[in-house]
Amino acid sequence: MSGGPPKALPSTGPQSLRDMPHPLAGSSSEEAVGGDSTPSPDLLTARSFGDKDLILPNGGTPAGTASPASSSSLLNRLQLDDDMDGETRDLFVTVDDPKKHVCTMETYITYRITTKSTRVEFDLPEYSVRRRYQDFDWLRNKLEESQPTHLIPPLPEKFVVKGVVDRFSEEFVETRRKALDKFLKRITDHPVLSFNEHFNVFLTAKDLNAHKKQGMALLTRVGESVKHVAGGYKLRNRPLEFAAIGEYLDTFALKLGTIDRIAQRIIKEEIEYLVELREYGPVYSTWSALEAELAEPLEGVSACIGNCSTALEELTDDMTEDFLPVLREYILYSDSMKSVLKKRDQVQAEYEAKLEAVALRKEERPKVPADVEKCQDRMECFNADLKADMERWQNNKRQDFRQLLMGMADKNIQYYEKCLLAWESIIPLLQEKQEAK
Amino acid sequence: MNFLHMTENNFSLKKIEISVSEAEKRTGRNAMNMQETYTAYLIETRSVEHSDGQSVLTDSLWRRYSEFELLRNYLLVYYPHIVVPPLPEKRAEFVWHKLSADNMDPDFVERRRIGLENFLLRVASHPILCRDKIFYLFLTQEGNWKETVNETGFQLKADSRLKALNATFRVKNPDKRFIELKHYSDELQSVISHLLRVRARVADRLYGVYKVHGNYGRVFSEWSAIEKEMGDGLQSAGHHMDVYAASIDDILEDEEHYADQLKEYLFYAEALRAVCRKHELTQYDLETAAQDLAAKKQQCEELATGTVRTFSLKGMTTKLFGQETPEQREARIKMLEEQIKEGEQQLKSKNLEGREFVKNAWADIERFKEQKNHDLKEALISYAVMQISMCKKVGFGFSEGMSIFRSAGKFL
Repeated sequence: MSGGPPKALPSTGPQSLRDMPHPLAGSSSEEAVGGDSTPSPDLLTARSFGDKDLILPNGGTPAGTASPASSSSLLNRLQLDDDMDGETRDLFVTVDDPKKHVCTMETYITYRITTKSTRVEFDLPEYSVRRRYQDFDWLRNKLEESQPTHLIPPLPEKFVVKGVVDRFSEEFVETRRKALDKFLKRITDHPVLSFNEHFNVFLTAKDLNAHKKQGMALLTRVGESVKHVAGGYKLRNRPLEFAAIGEYLDTFALKLGTIDRIAQRIIKEEIEYLVELREYGPVYSTWSALEAELAEPLEGVSACIGNCSTALEELTDDMTEDFLPVLREYILYSDSMKSVLKKRDQVQAEYEAKLEAVALRKEERPKVPADVEKCQDRMECFNADLKADMERWQNNKRQDFRQLLMGMADKNIQYYEKCLLAWESIIPLLQEKQEAK
Repeated sequence: MNFLHMTENNFSLKKIEISVSEAEKRTGRNAMNMQETYTAYLIETRSVEHSDGQSVLTDSLWRRYSEFELLRNYLLVYYPHIVVPPLPEKRAEFVWHKLSADNMDPDFVERRRIGLENFLLRVASHPILCRDKIFYLFLTQEGNWKETVNETGFQLKADSRLKALNATFRVKNPDKRFIELKHYSDELQSVISHLLRVRARVADRLYGVYKVHGNYGRVFSEWSAIEKEMGDGLQSAGHHMDVYAASIDDILEDEEHYADQLKEYLFYAEALRAVCRKHELTQYDLETAAQDLAAKKQQCEELATGTVRTFSLKGMTTKLFGQETPEQREARIKMLEEQIKEGEQQLKSKNLEGREFVKNAWADIERFKEQKNHDLKEALISYAVMQISMCKKVGFGFSEGMSIFRSAGKFL
């Protein structure tokens, strides 16, 4: 892991990685360099997505062999994310392979985190570590601490009511894995957060607990200063754009909450419907046993209803596993965003208070003292970071919800198609003329 | 259009159509001179001219449910070997929560109207029942019909329940086919009841699923108000949810029709059982008569030969109080011989009766089986077609509802 603070990369607005100093170019310079991006030809090749075999440049550091399997799976990951169209990706993170660990004190699940990167911050091109939920929680806390001006993606809920939900059931673990994977991918996509040290440590350290104990406190300049802002300043006016964001988030979270409740209710009703269907189908079978000519048709109807029942079960499972978690995640996201907004308000309030204090002091005329200037700096940086993140968030939100709603519609359509098929297939059976007995 | 052959007084055959075209609420006074509300149904009969197929209204009268019941009870008594078509249910059963159990509810009245029409058509298309005079009068003679039916004295001819039950327990040699048929009708009744009960619960639950989706409509609309690019897509989705939720009413109404078709056969099971019971009764009657005859023959023989093998009161009293005179004995033998002769005649005719009953009943049962298989197959087909059309409509609706999202491209 390369030492030193991350380069002060411009974080205002979504910038293509191309515009930023190439991480692998001119490794000697650690200052913020803008615009100098003339990578060597072989590195360029590595960045073209058309190549089947991605060449991972070693830039002096020993590289692990890039197996064909990993290249193609890398390609898959590239193709999945169309948000970074035209942008180069040099960091790929995946969460998979949940495993249960049974110890004397506790039982818990770990997930494998696989990282592939060409970034100079990573000593090796590839890493594979195991992490558990509390490690993710640690990471998120660290990110919030060290990047308070940015929106940190949410984690799936920490606590589950024991007895109601089985923490070790396949469905629960899989739902959690997907959410954790999304969490890391969102950080990976973020031009600032992805370079955070804690993130790096999380992805690479063999023994994370050792690092936790060391208490890595590598904070950015902005982060540190924001951390020490005392609360208690009263903000007079939230600027229009942030007020609008705040209002939007309030309504958004409210609506999502309602949708979540409705969705849960629907699933409950569908399950009860399923229970009745599972009793309904077999009665036709019982009847079929009494009949001669009608035996086959009745048995056919019984089987058909059975197929519809199975299709319905698949639908409710999908809704539970894919639909509800995304709603919950965005509700959590909104909550954390609102608290970032509040922090921003605090920074602005401090600045305004200090400014006012200066204005009241008659002696120090037009010259604005250094610390007030620092406050102004802080505020402006915060505003810029937040605006950029909001825009990024809005884009992602649109993508995610479009996918979600279309996915929900598709799952329903598939359910009706399965039922349709089942009923259509028994029509010929029902119409069949029985041979004269 | 239902054609059938009907005989009038002068036995001319005509093709006619029957319909129960209207239902009307009426108030009147009942037998105990109390105000009551009931529904009357308009029965229209049309005769069809062979040549041009045009139909002319020949009769139209109003009847209430109780008159239909009277007609059916009459048919049951006079045609015990026929599987008499059932009436639609007296009270609404197998209802799910949205369906009213109230006899005055317009939907219930409508379904009953259809059921009564179906009953008349079944009777009219039955080769034997259609020729019945009382049935003809039911369709044509509004006033006085009730009196006419009662004058036939059919209530007196009806077998008492007790008698029937007794026969069921004590009959020794009923025709095996009737035993099986009775067993079948019991099972059929049980399975269709179960089916209807579960179907009603299924309908209830399905209703719930659809209606809860309706809640999405409003919230999607409200959400769309705060979104820029996503607004249209959300509006469309919300609107679709409203349409989806509303569609369940028609879907379930169609399904009620299927339930009614099943109900008819549920009630037909009872009609089947009635025929079996009649067989048991006639058979028991026959067995009893044969038993009596055998007993008399034995008695006669004993008197003639002087051996007393069977216990008889006369024999006992004779032993106790003295022998009877040879003249007395002769008289008794003669009487018994008369009775035996009578009994043999009766037995012969009862035997014939019994065999006739079995033959005729079984013929109608075969006819019924064919009808049942045909009708239920048709009912299942139309049920399947209903499901198919529903799936297509709803699936298409979801597709339409999301079409804006789909076509909007990457960033909506």
